[in-house]
Amino acid sequence: MQISTARLLLIGLGAVAVASFLPLWASGYVLGLLILAYYFGVFAMAWDLLFGFAGEVNFGPTFLIGVGAYTAGILDNLYQPPIWLCIAAGTAAAVAGGLVLALPALRVRGPYFGLTTLVAVLMLQNFIVVDAHLTGGEIGLTVPDVISISDTTNYLIALWFMAISGAILFSLSRSPVGLILQASGQDAVQAGALGFNVTKHKITAFVISAFFSGLAGSLLVFYLGSASVGTFIDVTVGVQIIISAVLGGRRTILGAVLGSIFLIAMSEALRPLGDLANFIVFGMALIVVLLYPNGFFGLLTRTREDA
Amino acid sequence: MNRSGSRLAALAAGTALVALTLAGPASAQANGPIKIGVIAEATAVAGSSIPQAAQLAADEINAAGGINGRKIEIVSYDNHSSAAESVRAFQRAATQDHVNAVIASYISEVVLALEPWAGRLKTVTVTPGAASDVITQNIAKDYDHLKYMFHGYATSTSIADATCAATKDLLVGQLHMKTAVVMSEDAAWTTPLDAEYVKCLPQVGLKVLDHIRFSPDTTDFTPIFNKIEGEKPDVIMTGISHVGVQPTVQWKQQEVPIPMFGVSSQATNSSFWNDTNGATEGVLYQGFSGPDVAVTPKTLPFVQAFAKRFGHTPSYCGYTAYDEVYYIADAIKRAGSVDPDKLVDAMEKTDYVGTIGRVQFKGKDTPNPHALKIGPDTITGLMLQWQSGKQVNLWPAKVANGKLKFPSFIKIGSSN
Amino acid sequence: MGSEARRDAMTVFWQILIDGFAISSLYALGATGFALIFGVSGVLNLSHGSLMVAAVVAAWAAGDSLHAGPYMGAAVGVAVGFSLSLLTYFVVVNPLQRTRKIREEEKEIFILTATLLWGIMIQQLIAYFYTDNAKTVAPIVQGVVAIAGVRTPSNEIFTAIVCGLAIALLWLLVNRTRAGKAVLAASMNPRGITLLGVELSHVYVAVWAIYGVLVGVAGVLLGMFLGISSYSAGPLTASAFSIVVLGGLGSVPGALVAAYVVGYLETITAYLISPAYRTIPALLLLILVMYVRPRGLLGRR
Repeated sequence: MQISTARLLLIGLGAVAVASFLPLWASGYVLGLLILAYYFGVFAMAWDLLFGFAGEVNFGPTFLIGVGAYTAGILDNLYQPPIWLCIAAGTAAAVAGGLVLALPALRVRGPYFGLTTLVAVLMLQNFIVVDAHLTGGEIGLTVPDVISISDTTNYLIALWFMAISGAILFSLSRSPVGLILQASGQDAVQAGALGFNVTKHKITAFVISAFFSGLAGSLLVFYLGSASVGTFIDVTVGVQIIISAVLGGRRTILGAVLGSIFLIAMSEALRPLGDLANFIVFGMALIVVLLYPNGFFGLLTRTREDA
Repeated sequence: MNRSGSRLAALAAGTALVALTLAGPASAQANGPIKIGVIAEATAVAGSSIPQAAQLAADEINAAGGINGRKIEIVSYDNHSSAAESVRAFQRAATQDHVNAVIASYISEVVLALEPWAGRLKTVTVTPGAASDVITQNIAKDYDHLKYMFHGYATSTSIADATCAATKDLLVGQLHMKTAVVMSEDAAWTTPLDAEYVKCLPQVGLKVLDHIRFSPDTTDFTPIFNKIEGEKPDVIMTGISHVGVQPTVQWKQQEVPIPMFGVSSQATNSSFWNDTNGATEGVLYQGFSGPDVAVTPKTLPFVQAFAKRFGHTPSYCGYTAYDEVYYIADAIKRAGSVDPDKLVDAMEKTDYVGTIGRVQFKGKDTPNPHALKIGPDTITGLMLQWQSGKQVNLWPAKVANGKLKFPSFIKIGSSN
Repeated sequence: MGSEARRDAMTVFWQILIDGFAISSLYALGATGFALIFGVSGVLNLSHGSLMVAAVVAAWAAGDSLHAGPYMGAAVGVAVGFSLSLLTYFVVVNPLQRTRKIREEEKEIFILTATLLWGIMIQQLIAYFYTDNAKTVAPIVQGVVAIAGVRTPSNEIFTAIVCGLAIALLWLLVNRTRAGKAVLAASMNPRGITLLGVELSHVYVAVWAIYGVLVGVAGVLLGMFLGISSYSAGPLTASAFSIVVLGGLGSVPGALVAAYVVGYLETITAYLISPAYRTIPALLLLILVMYVRPRGLLGRR
């Protein structure tokens, strides 16, 4: 018996409301940590829509994020238009990138799809390093403008952006469109036989995933004040996103946020261990994948597996 | 509420609790220790020296009475070579641990990511090792916000100039070389380096025959060396950092008869001989420090104290990190306060003889404000060569402790 | 002037031929292992690169800390590759293949993710103990020889010969021995082979063991010839993955052919176009093949 959409949204809203009061007593450091976790939460939720529902393992979520973030950053560097324009441009670029990636990628199955997405990331990385005069190369790009200097403002923006994105993505997943996506993901042939245009729905999922990835990426650039391959594009960043979603529980959307917060909190808590910290965090993730494949959310909600 | 719902609510409460425990008490003490945050790649070979050297400096200053009675406390953060983690560490250092200054990183990507935050959180930040020209170019573009940033190491352009100065004495003066090929990794940091090479090498008497940039992911250097050999230059001018072991080992395996000279960051590591299984014999590399080289009267005492305490010699950014603690402390003393703006003014007037030379910063009206002044009166740099497992300094003459020596497969003067 | 230009062109031709052959052989050995595991065990092992790096670092460490000679170091490296491979199978892959908590269709994704995580864990551990500095292994063969007037490191020839031997041995094993034929049959029809009374699990263990040796040898050779660092793990996996897809997932001969295609493409690009664009043509070829002929050059399905 699944928890109703309305109930989950209500609980989520409650959590977000409580979290909104955090700036009253938490330090700038904790807020900074959570801001990053929230943006990564959106990345992970967008990924879960594609993977958990459309059934497509995207090894390069950072392709869409990178396209969005760098477009916004480069635009700001070149012409200094208002920030909201840069963000809009970044999001649009990510959506375009999503379409360009989706069309060839969806023609191929399973591991080939994963490879296509991986190749996309590698090509983007190559392009950024080679075109250093435009993109800052491997050293990265600093942008002249930021959304705000205040921790509280940045925190609330990140929190509510994540909340609204989550609500939209979650409702989508529970909507008829989401159910069709789920069906397409699990058995494309049957879904097609039932009369649903599988490809069209998957492309839609891609575009939606790209929209939120690009938007979150652009916002993140204007929070950090810089963009670099290591923060937005590198395969390890993509892995962190995938792990957040899987840890949280695939096909739950909301679980991705829990996974993201857990991952970042654990990395910080284990900071004194130095490099071993990463090893332990990934080790934990591996254990969860091996023993609790439904992730945190699965553990908590313990829905009966739909056969 | 059913069981699943109450579980979720419990989780939400739990998360809030975790967040709360992470948030420590916010405190600031007026007469407590002066805190310097050190953000570095503690497990990387080069980066590990930064927190170690900083701690050494702090302990020495404290043993001598501290700064006006206040002790220096080093607060160390390992950034795992990640720009995102460095930003988090910086936020923590500034807003939670309330440091008065930050010494950060030898990776340009990290330093550039921290630069806007140094401005936002108004915290004086000095880098002991990054080389990007952009760091100080940004300060010129937005001085009021970014004036808290100081570049405690040479820019790529300055490094090229220092290399050219050594070229003039060693390659043109002693070996009468006439031609060179520039070989560097295709990366953002080599763009200003190469541009300066192409400009200053002809000025000291070397004609640049070709300029080869290879992908930083290259693992097979055979085509590159074969191509260079075909052009018959007297020397290969290098600009490599991301790669080092591989081109060096292949250079030796292939017995390329042309010496390598210039910038090779990995060659500065004392472990490089082992890493290349001795293939680095005869490679010349630019640096600002070397074993047993008394650049200033402070250099060797520092190296000895460091080796005694940590069991190995410091990496190149250990020297600069050590100096930075000292001249930050000196600036605080001169400013009479830890107020960030007053500290910036005092830092700009720094005139301190450290372990790599005389530290002075360029002024706010130059194209690279807060960059180190490089030159015969301030910091000249060195040119070292690996010989029989040891790093020997060959230039400038007054601190040289060896002579040029090449392996048997090198043919000097191979240009026809 | 004409004959000198022709002589230079001949030199470049031989350089490309020899250098390309050595690189391609190295790619071939790594890709063959990867294709074998996918073809028989159905697993796309994303920790492939990390296993190779582990083998190299072990060989290097044996030389560095234990002062072992190059032969001993190589043996240590291969042994580590072998053991880690079996460990990967027993700790990561097998439990997921047998678990009831995941639906069959989703197992592939989970195994992919798990091997990815496992690979990163190994990479982090190596970086922790040995830093991410590049390492080279003391070569067994040193010095240079002249081939058609081109000065070639003997090590390069040694590499090509050993790769060739390893692949030949593998071919012999699969096609001429009873155990090998069981492996081949298992790759074509896992259910069918159980009807013949062969323990499928034994076949899998055997395959992972062979894979471990291949990975160990490939890693050690790579370490001797080109050098490696813990950063190489990702690119090595991506490279093997691309070659295997190019050749056709599940086809070992396909992987071999594709390895030489990619190796020569890269070498020719580096010599004739520019070293900065070395990897681009191979990447473009991969995209083209995936678009036009997704089952690869010699793919079965």
